[in-house]
Amino acid sequence: MNFQSKANKYVCPNDRQLSLRAKLRTGWSAARSEPPLTTSEREAIAAVVKRAEKLEEVEAKRVGRLVARLEGMRRSAQGPAPRSCLLCGETARLLSPLRTCSICRHTACSKCVIETFPYRKMTNGRPPLYSREAYMCNLCAETREMWKKSGAWFFKSLPKYILPQRRATGRYNDTELARSLQDAGNSSNDGKTDSEPGSPLSIHAPTFSRQPSNTDSRKSITSPHETHYEWSETDILSHGFSGLSLHRADSLTQRPLTNLKRTGSKGSAYSLRSIRKEIPKPVDQIERPPMIPDAGFGTLEIRLAYENSTSSLAVTVLRARGLIGMDMTGLADPFCRLEVLPREGAYSNRLRTKTVHKTKNPEFNETLHFFGITESDLAVKSLEIVLFDDDRYGCDEMGSATVSLRECTKSPTQLRLALLGSSGAEPTGPRILLALCYSTKRRALVVNVCKGADLPPQDSNGYSDPFVKLHLDPDPYHKKHKTSIKWRNLNPVWNEEFLFETRPTELSRQNLTLTVWDKDYGKPNDFLGSLVLGASSKGRRLKHWMDCIKFPDHRHEQWHSLTDTQHL
Amino acid sequence: MAKTYDYLFKLLLIGDSGVGKTSILFRFSEDAFNISFISTIGIDFKIRTIDLDGKKVKLQIWDTAGQERFRTITTAYYRGSMGIMLVYDVTNEKSFENIKNWIRNIEENASADVEKMILGNKCDLDAKRQVSKERGEQLAVEYQIKFVETSAKDSLNVEFAFYTLARDIKAKMEKKQEASNPPGGRSGVQLKANEQNRKPTSWLARCSVL
Ligand SMILES: Nc1nc2c(ncn2[C@@H]2O[C@H](COP(=O)(O)OP(=O)(O)OP(=O)(O)O)[C@@H](O)[C@H]2O)c(=O)[nH]1
Ligand SMILES: [Mg+2]
Ligand SMILES: [Zn+2]
Ligand SMILES: [Zn+2]
Repeated sequence: MNFQSKANKYVCPNDRQLSLRAKLRTGWSAARSEPPLTTSEREAIAAVVKRAEKLEEVEAKRVGRLVARLEGMRRSAQGPAPRSCLLCGETARLLSPLRTCSICRHTACSKCVIETFPYRKMTNGRPPLYSREAYMCNLCAETREMWKKSGAWFFKSLPKYILPQRRATGRYNDTELARSLQDAGNSSNDGKTDSEPGSPLSIHAPTFSRQPSNTDSRKSITSPHETHYEWSETDILSHGFSGLSLHRADSLTQRPLTNLKRTGSKGSAYSLRSIRKEIPKPVDQIERPPMIPDAGFGTLEIRLAYENSTSSLAVTVLRARGLIGMDMTGLADPFCRLEVLPREGAYSNRLRTKTVHKTKNPEFNETLHFFGITESDLAVKSLEIVLFDDDRYGCDEMGSATVSLRECTKSPTQLRLALLGSSGAEPTGPRILLALCYSTKRRALVVNVCKGADLPPQDSNGYSDPFVKLHLDPDPYHKKHKTSIKWRNLNPVWNEEFLFETRPTELSRQNLTLTVWDKDYGKPNDFLGSLVLGASSKGRRLKHWMDCIKFPDHRHEQWHSLTDTQHL
Repeated sequence: MAKTYDYLFKLLLIGDSGVGKTSILFRFSEDAFNISFISTIGIDFKIRTIDLDGKKVKLQIWDTAGQERFRTITTAYYRGSMGIMLVYDVTNEKSFENIKNWIRNIEENASADVEKMILGNKCDLDAKRQVSKERGEQLAVEYQIKFVETSAKDSLNVEFAFYTLARDIKAKMEKKQEASNPPGGRSGVQLKANEQNRKPTSWLARCSVL
């Protein structure tokens, strides 16, 4: 080694010299000898900057979604009120006392807080002797999460973000929200932001929403509206539905296949999204037979009550009857999504009910509240209710209904609505076109992976190099297939055929799993999406599968949405 | 539906020209190596998403030109960086000595919260070595910065270096979050946690409410 000889080629200037140079903007770290860049160099740099901008936009949209999500939470929160939950409005009860959020200092019920452990006091790996549990309300916890996820923790302010949709009018503008979020993430926060006038949490809790949500608390006072309810029943029938993509799965019901492993559906994803109240059943209520002529998608009973003192609309989703079957047993796991249309701001004020499992005749009995609905809104706005089937592999629409809010201008009304079939027949977003055919001759299921569309880009060049892996489960032959790789293509056309030896009787117990991947050399492939068709799938996926079994030797081609969960 | 990530960390590679910054990044992002030297023009970046404790962390790694004539452009990228890799070449004494200058450059241009790491690259070239590992370690101790010797060619410690830097950034993030709201929360608090481990009410907590 001869580093001595080379070492003296460079003499490191001492610290004083360096700091002096820095101040004088001369020397090593200053731009002292920079010849102008050539045109090609400029172009190269500009190309990189452009690429970075694209990425920034993706990031800004992601942060925008985080912001929107949090704002949605804030909006649907009940607001601070003495002795009641900031989020869901539940009042203190003996067995579930309220907690005080250690950050915003508001009270929240045990369902709307998380426990936190102050680990700073931990000594020698042991928790402190007198550790008092600390709580954080879900709103503060979510704000923290958002603070971390957006990178705001580092930049000390919310980075640039693009909201999911541009808001035209809105009660709270973006900067206001950004400021309140910043405050929430700062140590200076003392919860004041939550009670500022005009902030989403300043909505004063309407009296009717302050009742225990627990059904077993019989002492609950009935809502004041209940007393002057006019049971004016208006059946609204609408015909002329579009799209027959979903059929009554009666044919499926006829062959009840027992011992089928059903896909476990996750419950409502987020407890804060809706404010749920179990309403006491009125005594005078009689079960009405589902006599009305529906369009084949069943009926839905709701009750609307408008309260002008609080500018709120209470929608009670009572029950649905005769819904279409979605799974192998001809049952479904329905829930309702409610939205007041047209939208006013960027985000829809959507609320959802709980999921009622394994039924075609769900009893929802749930009241959801829309706030900020003015009396003039009632004349021009309508309520859209869409029923979905809760499913791990995607959400299939089961039917929908729209009702004008004029219905409840004068007094609360109870309505029975005919559900219409889903109009969105073809899926959008990342999707795949599949052709299935059971060949009696070859005694095999022939799967043609036709093409993909709108696949997510995974590589820095803005493309992916997609290929599809597929297998049948259970499969005694353990066959695993793979398509070719389509380089730099978000809309690849494969048209490749694969054979799985099986029998039609087996098929009704099997599932075909497809996963789409982005080929990467030297590192794990990126997951692009997945799809499960088969006995334990639901909705259009199940229909496709059953069609293929019922009509062998026919090509059954259908587009399917890819889901981003890698449930394998 | 585009696969989304939990965090975006912006990293930066700096160091003299020819020390192997681009090669290190090429190894990390493409797991490949190129023996020929194509000096970087201005700036470039690569993306790789890694998994840290179950969180998807998207790394946007900026590669800068070591050549001095691009200095104005490259220093503009210091500010937004959450982590910086200082790279020298173990076969080049001068590049090692210059680390001090690069650190100074960071102090002048980067955020005070930036995480740093020193890499002594080309450690596969033992015959040409001019800077011993001990000297690298010593410098790192002096500046209180983590240090590791790497080889982009032999794929030595490259993954380790990036994962370590990303992990340090994540740890800092959790700590900052902790410090910002005094009563504090557990790191990586999940809303779901509440549903799973709802503890029986403590006597004390009940008292404070009733
Ligand atoms: N043996 C060996 N050679 C390496 C290693 N890393 C980089 N090189 C070689 O060193 C040369 C310079 O590498 P680059 O990565 O382009 O250097 P750089 O730091 O990006 O240079 P600038 O872009 O000018 O700042 C190339 O010829 C590489 O093949 C290594 O770990 N071992
Ligand atoms: Mg380079
Ligand atoms: Zn609550
Ligand atoms: Zn709080």
